Amino acid sequence: MSCDNDNKLVAIVDDDDAVRVTLKELLRAAGFSSQTFESAEDFLGSGHQLDTACLITDIRMPGMSGLELQTRLNSERCRIPTIFITAHGDEEMRFQALRAGAVEFLPKPFDDEVLIESVRAALER
Amino acid sequence: MNQIIGLKWSAGPVTSVPMRYGLAVLSVAVALGLSLAFTHFQLPQTFSAFALSAIAITFWYAGTAPGILAAVLSSIIRSYLFEPTTSTQSRVLFDLAFLVFALLMTQVMRDRNQLELRVAERTAELTHLNEDLKREIAKHNQIEAELRLSEAYLAEAQRLSHTGSWAWSPPPGDIRYWSDECFRVQGFDPKEGQPKYEVFFQTIHPDDRARVAEVIESAVRENREFEFDYRIIHPGGEVRDARSFGHPILDPTGGLVEYVGTIIDVTDRRLAEKERERLREAQADLAHVSRMTAMGELTASLAHEVNQPITAAVNGASTCVRWLTRESPDLEEAREAALGVIRNAKRAADIINRIRSISKKGESTRQLADVNELILEMIALLRSEAKRYSVSVRTELNAELPKIMADSVQVQQVLMNLIMNGIDAMKDVDGERKLTIGSLWADKRMLMISVSDTGVGLPPQHADRIFDAFFTTKSHGIGMGLRISRSIVEAHGGRLWAADNFPHGASFHFTLPAPVEVGA
Repeated sequence: MSCDNDNKLVAIVDDDDAVRVTLKELLRAAGFSSQTFESAEDFLGSGHQLDTACLITDIRMPGMSGLELQTRLNSERCRIPTIFITAHGDEEMRFQALRAGAVEFLPKPFDDEVLIESVRAALER
Repeated sequence: MNQIIGLKWSAGPVTSVPMRYGLAVLSVAVALGLSLAFTHFQLPQTFSAFALSAIAITFWYAGTAPGILAAVLSSIIRSYLFEPTTSTQSRVLFDLAFLVFALLMTQVMRDRNQLELRVAERTAELTHLNEDLKREIAKHNQIEAELRLSEAYLAEAQRLSHTGSWAWSPPPGDIRYWSDECFRVQGFDPKEGQPKYEVFFQTIHPDDRARVAEVIESAVRENREFEFDYRIIHPGGEVRDARSFGHPILDPTGGLVEYVGTIIDVTDRRLAEKERERLREAQADLAHVSRMTAMGELTASLAHEVNQPITAAVNGASTCVRWLTRESPDLEEAREAALGVIRNAKRAADIINRIRSISKKGESTRQLADVNELILEMIALLRSEAKRYSVSVRTELNAELPKIMADSVQVQQVLMNLIMNGIDAMKDVDGERKLTIGSLWADKRMLMISVSDTGVGLPPQHADRIFDAFFTTKSHGIGMGLRISRSIVEAHGGRLWAADNFPHGASFHFTLPAPVEVGA
């Protein structure tokens, strides 16, 4: 299975309600529409991996982690530009994520300019 | 003749009839013999005198009837043996003299008998009185023995309880009674006798004297009770803690008669209290150290837990700025975003406060607490830790449970310990990792809180040792968690125990007493 990135959907995967909702609002203020998912499993089950232009995901989540999600998408030949946001990020994790094709690796809390630029860059690919 | 003179027959000391009349005959015979002997030796004729004696003796010893017989016999003997020639006139005169003598003797007999009767009565009376007296003495002795026993028991009770009793009347009076235990407590030598009030006062610690004097004087002024603590300096220099109570005894008009009271040596009790206090402090310190250790292990998770709302708040603030700095600022959107910032910043502050309250070191204070709230707060705090090890947390809470009197921090410490143990037990489990926390009624008086996991279960062969100090199966930790948790639960009047789950995992349950008015 492969996916095309013609669509402009931004997907947000984070298990924390507040982070998820405020991220969606931030993107809306910056002019991007987005869809939120409570878990990696939810995202995969929604079928939106097919039309997602940019994925913003937490790393540590119950069930499948953000890194596992990335691996899974890669194995499905679905390389979505992915921005990781995490509170636990260490260098090793960052290196692993970037090597697997992440476009950005942001520690929480993050600078909105950096995030928005990354999203914009992902969408303009 | 007796009936004629109205006399009652009365008997003398000789009682048998033959002996009484025999005595009459014998005494007259003796009188006759003596007179015959006198006549033979040509001594003056004295039969009359002997006869009168014989009559008197007979009356005295044998009674009235034999006496009269003796008189008649004597009269006959005198008439026919000694004075056969005497004229009838003289004989009659003589017989009359005998008769009068016999009557007199009869009267004497009667008086003697009455006297004997009175003596007998008095004797009986005295015997009776004597018996009464003996009974009285016996009763008195018994009461005295009982009193002595009672006094011995009281003295023993005073000795055992280090409580002496005293009686004292304020100046110009002095100490009136001072029990043995008072001597011991106050450090006086009983050989020196009952102490004077001033002497008692001198044994009080100099720093306490003024206060004690003030307490006593003000109580005496108003005839009130008094109570004070003070220190005693014993002759050897030892300082003892004591407490004295005094109660005024008033006469019916309300005037003060005296004070009665006690002196109690409370030194040992006070030392024990201090020891208990030290132990409580040590336990609180240990519990605190244990909490801090647990919090230390949780640092990463707690940081994450605080970081989430801060991230959300920063997102909200960024959003707010973006709405405001647009070409056409959207105030309504900006306001919404700003409200979100407040909400999330508060959430972060709440978490920090929760961490701080768990970390704080302080006196154990019990207040009404909602068990379910405590559980939910602790789950919120440990959510990141659970997430870190992919543990799902479920609650089965009975919303109807009453609030309980408890030290919230300590109960949360127990919950934290059990939840972290549960997570720990599931870290290396491949299957399901599920932690279930429940609250329910154990019975009418007890609430029960359970923490169940699907981990490795209790250590085989050591299930009974998990509550021992320093027993641990972990590579980290000092093995005090469950031990401290159990002591906290027991200090609250509950119980903490563990059981294996089927097919895997373990459950820890603890009970806490419900308030008395609930659950009846």
